Amino acid sequence: MVAVPSAEAAGFQGEAQAQTSGRSLRQIVWARLSRDRVAMVCFVILVFMYLTAVFGPIVAGIFDISPYTLHSALISDLGGKPIGAWGGISWAHPLGIEWGTGRDIFAQLLFGLRISLVIATSATLITVALGTVIGIIAGYTGGWTDNIIGRFMDLVLAFPFLLIILALSGPLTQRLTQIGVPDGNPSRILYLILVLSVFGWPYLARIVRGQVLSLREREFVEAAVAMGAGKRRILFTEILPNLWAPILVYATLTLPAYIGLEAALSFLGVGVLPPETTFGAMLANSVAYFDVVPTYLFIPGTVLVVLVVSFNLLGDALRDALDPKAIH
Amino acid sequence: MVRPEARLLRGFAVGAAVALTLAACGGGGTSSNSPGAGTSNTPTAGGTIYILTQAEQWDQVDPQRIYTGEDLAFFGGTVQRSLTAYKFSADAKEGTSVVPDLATDTGTHNDNATQWSFTLRDGVTWQDGAPVTCEDVKYGVSRTFATDVINQGPTYAIAYLNIPSDKDGSSSYKGPYKKTGQDLFDKAVTCDGNKITFNLNKPVPDFNYTVTLGFSPVRQADDKGEKYGQPGSLVVSDGPYMVESYSTGNGGKMVMVRNPKWNKASDPIRPAYPDKWEVDFGVDPKVMDQRLMASAGNDQFAIQYGNIQPENLATIFTDTEHTTAKFNGRAVSGFDPYSRYYWINVNKVKNVKIRQAMAVALDRQAIRLNIGGAFAGDFADGVIKPNIGQDYAATGLWDSLLGEKVPDNGDPDFAKKLIQDSGEAAPKLTFDFPDTPTNGKTAAIVISSLGKAGITVTPNPIEPGQYYSVVFDPQKGHEFGTGGWGADWPNASTVIPPLFTQKGGWDLSQLDDAAFNQKVEAAQTELDRAKQATAWQDLNKEAAQNMYVIPTFFGLSQTLAGTKVAPIYRWPAYGSWPYGEMYVKS
Repeated sequence: MVAVPSAEAAGFQGEAQAQTSGRSLRQIVWARLSRDRVAMVCFVILVFMYLTAVFGPIVAGIFDISPYTLHSALISDLGGKPIGAWGGISWAHPLGIEWGTGRDIFAQLLFGLRISLVIATSATLITVALGTVIGIIAGYTGGWTDNIIGRFMDLVLAFPFLLIILALSGPLTQRLTQIGVPDGNPSRILYLILVLSVFGWPYLARIVRGQVLSLREREFVEAAVAMGAGKRRILFTEILPNLWAPILVYATLTLPAYIGLEAALSFLGVGVLPPETTFGAMLANSVAYFDVVPTYLFIPGTVLVVLVVSFNLLGDALRDALDPKAIH
Repeated sequence: MVRPEARLLRGFAVGAAVALTLAACGGGGTSSNSPGAGTSNTPTAGGTIYILTQAEQWDQVDPQRIYTGEDLAFFGGTVQRSLTAYKFSADAKEGTSVVPDLATDTGTHNDNATQWSFTLRDGVTWQDGAPVTCEDVKYGVSRTFATDVINQGPTYAIAYLNIPSDKDGSSSYKGPYKKTGQDLFDKAVTCDGNKITFNLNKPVPDFNYTVTLGFSPVRQADDKGEKYGQPGSLVVSDGPYMVESYSTGNGGKMVMVRNPKWNKASDPIRPAYPDKWEVDFGVDPKVMDQRLMASAGNDQFAIQYGNIQPENLATIFTDTEHTTAKFNGRAVSGFDPYSRYYWINVNKVKNVKIRQAMAVALDRQAIRLNIGGAFAGDFADGVIKPNIGQDYAATGLWDSLLGEKVPDNGDPDFAKKLIQDSGEAAPKLTFDFPDTPTNGKTAAIVISSLGKAGITVTPNPIEPGQYYSVVFDPQKGHEFGTGGWGADWPNASTVIPPLFTQKGGWDLSQLDDAAFNQKVEAAQTELDRAKQATAWQDLNKEAAQNMYVIPTFFGLSQTLAGTKVAPIYRWPAYGSWPYGEMYVKS
C-alpha cells in the first residue's frame, strides 16, 4: 500500500540514480515526522490502540474481565449504582463497572474499540479507493464524464446524510440480510461502513480531481502519451503515485471523523446490537448518570477524544511533513 | 420507566388503559408518609401550588379523552366532576372506594346489573352559573361514540351501553356530531328529570367504577369537538377551579383560579384549599429534580409531575419506604399503576414447557437492578397487582407453581430440564424491546441469562414510538418482548380480559383459547363480587402457570414535592398525588 515511488520518479525516472544525495519521499517524510515529537507520541498511541483492539480478547483474558459478565453483587439494589467510589473502580475492575448491570467498563472499552476501529478503518479504505478512482477518472477524462461525475458528487454532497442514515438504517439493514449478510451485527456494521463510505468519497474525489487536472498537463504525462502509453498506464502508473500525499493526509483526517461519526450514530441508536457495545453506546448509557458517577461518562469519552485527537494531530503533522511550505 | 410506558400505551390506538389503581397492599412498597406529618399541620386555604412537568402540554384536557391516572386525578380534583369519584385517602381500601360526586349516591342497578341509574345533586353549576343537567351528562357520554373526533380516550361507553354494532364491529351510533343512530343512543341513555339511566348490553356489576372514566358532563353549547380543552377553547369547569389560561410548549403554563360559581355545599369530596394552581410545562427532568431538592422560592410550593430520576433516588431515600432526613415528609415511593411482564407469543412458542423454561432461566434480579433495583418494583407473581385489592392473591408462581422454587436470578439447570421435558430442542428466539439505552442493557441480560439454559436470543430493538404497533402486528412481532399494563379500576375485569382475550385489546401474547375465554366471560358477568374475585385469582394463576406472559415486576415509582406542600402520599385510586385535597403549608 505504501509503495510510495521516489520523488524523482515524478519526472526523472530512469535518468538519475542519484544515490548520494537522493532520498526517497518516504525517507524525507519519515525524517521530518520523526523529528516532530507530537506526531511521534500520537503515532505510538495509535499503534497501541490498534494493538489492544486486535488483541482485545487476549488483554481481557489477562485481566480476567469480560464485557458480557454481569456483576449483580457489585450493584446497589437501591437505584442500581455501582458500589464503591468512582463507579466501582477496583483491582478487579480497573475502570469501574457499568451502572445497573455491573459489566466491566475496561472490557467494554476493549471490545468497543475493536468495533469502532473496524468500522472507521474499513470505511476509510473504501472511501479512499472510491474517491481516488472516481477523482482520477473525472480529472483526467474531462468533458462530459467530468461534468456528470461532478454533478453527481454535488448531489451526494447535498444529501442531508445524517438524516438519511438514521431513516434508512432499518430498511437497508434488512436489505443486507436479504442478500445474504448474516442478520444482526454483521449487517449493521456493514451498513455503517457502506453509508459512511458512500457519503464520504466525494470530498476526496474533488481533491484528487483538482490534482489530476494540473498533473495531466505536466511534461512526464505528455511524454508518456507521446510514447504511446495506454490510458490505464497513464492514470495508474504515471499520475496516481503523485497523489499519495494528499490521499494519505486525507485518510488520516477522515478516519477520526468516521470514529466520531460512528460514535454519534450509535449514540443515536444506529449501532451494534446488545450485548455488544461501542463508544457511542457507552456514552449514551452514561449520560443520565454523569453527575452521580462521572467516571462512567469520562472514561469512554476520554479514550474517544485521545483516539480522535491523535489521528488529527498525526494527520496535520503528515501534511506538514509532505508539504513543509504550507502555512497554517 | 413509567412515563415512557404511559406514552407508549396511549400512543397505540387500542384502548390504552393506563389509569389506575388501587389499594396498596400491606406488604410491598407503600407510601412513605412521614409519621410526624399531620400532627402540626392543619390544612389552610390560600396560596398557589405549582406543578412541574417535563411534558410540553397536556395530552388531553377533554373529559372524554383523558386516560392517564395522573391527569384523571388532577383534572378530577380541580375542574371536572364525574358521577362517582374516588375518596381522598392514603389508605389502600378507602382510597379506592367510590363515593358519590355529581350523583347523590353511587348508583343503583336492577337485579342483573344491566341497568344503572344515578340521580344528580342539586346546586351543581358550570362556571357561568348554569346548572349541570342530566342532558349535559348524557351529551358528554355521547361524545365517546364520535371515535373519529374524540379518540384516545376510554371507550367503556361503547363497550357497555346497549347499542347494536355495525358489520365492521363499530357501534351503530356515530356520536353527536354525525348523529347517525341517535335514536339508539337515546334509548340506551335516558334522562328523567335529574335521574340518568344507563341500559347496558351485559351485566356490569362494577359499572359505578366505570363511570369515573369518560362519563363526565360536557355542555353541548361549549363543545368544540376535537379542540375542546385546548388553548383557544378552554375546558368549561364544574369543579372548584376554572382554567384561566393555557399555553403550550417549553415555558408554557396552565393557570387555574377559583371558580366563583362553585358551591361548596354541592361538593362533599373536594376541600379545594389553594387559591390557584399553576402548571409549568417543559421542565427538564434533571433540572426539575434539582429544583425540588433545593426547594427555594416558588419551588417550595411545587410538586413533581413525573418521577425522580434514578440517579437521585439513593440521595433521597434510604430504602424504598423511608426517606433520608433532609427529604422527610416530601418524597414518596409507592406502586405506580403498572404490572410489568414479558409477553410470549403463544402461536410462535406453542410448547408450555419451553415458555416455562424461558421464565425460569430469566435473571429477574439483574434486570431489576438495571432498571433501578428495589425502587423499580417488587417481583411479580402474576399480572394482577396487589394494590388492586381483593382480586389479588399470591399465586406462588416462583415458589411452587412450576414444580420447584425459582430463584430471582434464574435457574439455568431447571430451565434445561424443562426444555428436555418439552421434547423439543432448545429454541432460537427473538426479543422485541423499545430501543432505549436501559432496554439495550436489559436485552443483554436476557440474552446472557437465557443463553445459560441453551436458549439463543437475538435482540430486536424497535423505535420506541412504534413499539406497540410493531409487536401487535403478527407479521412483525417476534417470540417475546417487553410489556406493561395498569388496571382501569379496582377490578381485575380491567386486567385479565384485556391481556388474555382477543377482544380485550392488549393481547400481546396473541392468546385465543376457547376454554380460557369462557372462564373470563363467566367471571366478567359474575354478580357476587367475592366469587368474582376468586375467579380472577384463579385465572391469574392459570395464566401465570401457562406462562402466557412472564410476570416480572409490580412497578414502583418515586416522586418529590417542595417543602411547603401537603399532604404527601400516593393516592391509591390513581397512583398519583391527591390533588383535590392538597394545600400550602403555612
